[in-house]
Amino acid sequence: MKKLWQNNRSLIIALIIFLGAFAAITQSMEAKVWASILLSGITLASLYFLVASGLSLIFGLMDVLNFAHGSIFVLGAYVGLSTYANPRLLFNTLPFFLSLGAGITLARSFGVPFWRLKRTQNKPQWFFWGLIALSLVLITLSLREFPIRAINAFGVTAVGGIVSTAEAQEPMGTMLLRSALLFISGLPFGIALAPREDYQEGSRRNPGRVLLTALILLILGLAILLLRDPGEKFMLGLSVDLRFVLALVLGSLAGALLGAAVEIVLIRPFYGNPVTQLVLTLGLLIALTDVIEGVWGEEGHPPMTPPSLFTEPCRSESLFSWFGEKCRSIDVLGRAFPSYRVFIIFLGILVFSAVGVLLRRSRIGMIIRAGVQDSEMVQVLGINVRRVFTLVFALGSGLAALGGVIAAPFLGVYPAMGGIFQLQAFIAVVIGGMGSYPGAAVGTLILGIARAFGDHFVASGIELPFLETTLRGSPALAKASTVLIMAIVLLVKPAGIFGKKE
Amino acid sequence: MTSSTTNIEDAPLKKAWPQWWPYLAVLAFLILFPFLAGLTIGDPSAVEPGAGWLTAVAQRTESGYAKFWQGMLIQIFIWGIFALSYDLLLGFTGILSFGHAMFFGTGAYAVAILIDKHVSWPLGWALAAVILISLMQSIIFGVLSLRVKGVYLAMVTLAFAEMFFILSEAGDFRKYTGADDGLHGFPVPDYLSAADHRTRFYYLALIFFVIVFLAARRLVNSPPGRVMIATRDNEHRATTIGFDTFRYKLIAFVAAGVFAGLAGALSALYNVSITPALLSTDRTIDVLAMTIIGGVGTLVGPITGAVIVQLLGYWLERWFGSSWTLIYGIIFMLIVVFLPYGIIGTLRARSLRLKEGWGRWLKLLGIKSEGDAAFASHTEMDNGDQPPGQS
Repeated sequence: MKKLWQNNRSLIIALIIFLGAFAAITQSMEAKVWASILLSGITLASLYFLVASGLSLIFGLMDVLNFAHGSIFVLGAYVGLSTYANPRLLFNTLPFFLSLGAGITLARSFGVPFWRLKRTQNKPQWFFWGLIALSLVLITLSLREFPIRAINAFGVTAVGGIVSTAEAQEPMGTMLLRSALLFISGLPFGIALAPREDYQEGSRRNPGRVLLTALILLILGLAILLLRDPGEKFMLGLSVDLRFVLALVLGSLAGALLGAAVEIVLIRPFYGNPVTQLVLTLGLLIALTDVIEGVWGEEGHPPMTPPSLFTEPCRSESLFSWFGEKCRSIDVLGRAFPSYRVFIIFLGILVFSAVGVLLRRSRIGMIIRAGVQDSEMVQVLGINVRRVFTLVFALGSGLAALGGVIAAPFLGVYPAMGGIFQLQAFIAVVIGGMGSYPGAAVGTLILGIARAFGDHFVASGIELPFLETTLRGSPALAKASTVLIMAIVLLVKPAGIFGKKE
Repeated sequence: MTSSTTNIEDAPLKKAWPQWWPYLAVLAFLILFPFLAGLTIGDPSAVEPGAGWLTAVAQRTESGYAKFWQGMLIQIFIWGIFALSYDLLLGFTGILSFGHAMFFGTGAYAVAILIDKHVSWPLGWALAAVILISLMQSIIFGVLSLRVKGVYLAMVTLAFAEMFFILSEAGDFRKYTGADDGLHGFPVPDYLSAADHRTRFYYLALIFFVIVFLAARRLVNSPPGRVMIATRDNEHRATTIGFDTFRYKLIAFVAAGVFAGLAGALSALYNVSITPALLSTDRTIDVLAMTIIGGVGTLVGPITGAVIVQLLGYWLERWFGSSWTLIYGIIFMLIVVFLPYGIIGTLRARSLRLKEGWGRWLKLLGIKSEGDAAFASHTEMDNGDQPPGQS
């Protein structure tokens, strides 16, 4: 008992303060009111958590403060939206990524001899960046004047009608040419990424398997390209639920792949130099924001319709009856609560426990936890930490993108939401303690609930037990509440609630 | 980086006259710029018929592209001061702050609100108040945020700046701050209006810029400035020697805050408009980018960065239209990758290497003694791999 107190003193004190404040505020409210506010807060918290957990893991393991995390969140949301409402974009761009990937895979294994040449051994760094620059130039050339906005025109599909796709898309020949060019531009990139030394992973790969992988990627890209018209009809003909699941999978996959690419290209060459990494992620934020606005427009989209599980116009008595009735809202102590938000809460808890189990019970989780404590020691023990770094970066980005997809039916999608969520995630991670997984959960929970009560405080005021009049705050107060909480926590406990002492 | 003795910023003016002449040349160019611009790119049709030649030149400097480029230089002065103040934190004390826009924006808001119709103070009083406000603000938030270090400090300052941003957007003070619209067209005195007397404003900004540069140079070379640099390089060691590093970090914080506040006030007077965007994190990112591009830990670097970012922004926007930020982001990343010490920092390291090679060659010929070459390689070591601003 005493040990429990000593180990978790700050957590317990925080909990007591939190419960006290909660009791003081809710004392004058009806149960159904505060219950629904609490649920709203937890909804928000589970969205924050999906962004914050990745941020916290990445910082804990690699000391990288990723400022582009919010952009990945938005990207996930947009990819999900495209999958769900307008798959034409996917059918017209996926082949490009696949052929680029095929080129990179191929050159990465067969480019090893390149680094053995006497001439290149002197200036590997310049050759490395030169190859990447060459690849970037080729990519730019092959994507020149690609009519992305016309392909991505949402106006038609938003009504739900049949979309005439023929005129917006480029002819098949041009698309094939672009794909071939992208395959070629993937080659220098792959050579740049090829391992330099014998003992590095990947150099002893079976060449037949590499060829097969590249071939599969190419054929897959070609198939998607050739089947783009029937494929789109098929996708739009699928049931809404199935499409939503597909959106979740593809959105988070896109985020994870982007995260892995960012780690390999931008972060990996600069370990041990956190300021450079931070500044590079800032540059990525500037560039990525522009890409997102260029592809999907600056204006944003209204919330997309949730899947059919959450759309029947009725109110279910309880959670269990909802499974049969598929109502839009669920009765919580006599007050309607949107059922989609229950789904968000459910998904947040699911992800929290799944990643928790991964961290606690699996070998890779053990390596991650050890890496957070002392990554050099882990490396000395013969474990390839770099690969784990990439994996964690991909995992964190994938979680953020997943958060983006599930936020889309709830909040809509607009480019600026990345910055908002990123700031909240930063605050939550700092409150909980940088690099602590449970800390991220506790921090987001505090923030979400504080924000929900703050919004209620603004909308209808709060009767405090020791005051006669109803207090009512301005909207600014609700916005600033999270920042204030962070300032207070940091001034009392500089390393956050779960943070290690310095 | 600044600890090497060959830096211009360290050398006293009298002894290092030859090293000063590029700076004086730039200053002379800046002083002459309005006249040169007026004579070359000014609009000849702006001259009233029958005016004397002096009046004619004056009228031409207030017209056409001459006026535009003076405006560009005024922006560069303002941002240069702001970036310089940021570098006092990041480059000379090793404090990574993400809330520096807080001071810039507060300075702008303070001067605008104080000379606006609800308060309508004279400009001199308002500027004095700006200094006082930014002094108090930087002391308060410095004491609060310097309790923590590294990334935590970045986050705390980010949060404080966000608080001011929210405050500036809040509807409760709409009467004074104009909420999310900001204030536009507040009564700047006629004799200082940048629209009518661009050249006058230009010289004011230039004088202010030079004063801040010299003040920053004085601060960096003073004993407290040396302790600031020691804190940046190794805080633990500085504490062990017996310095109260908190105090010196606070000095840097306050100096940076006051300079940034004054830059903000100047910006408000020049643009005659303020918006909450002045307080947003994007401005801090801008100024961070300028400092990194120019060279962290140098005085000339951030100013160079301000020049480059302003001009780059202008040209890129003209060439690429709305997608210029993508190009800007990529260029920014390339500079960070290829010039890790920024433009000025990398140039300096290279010139040192040149000097070292030169010394070695002279030694081979028997002209130079052993000690000089050893000294040269020692200063090279000082410019070594540890980048400043790392905590």
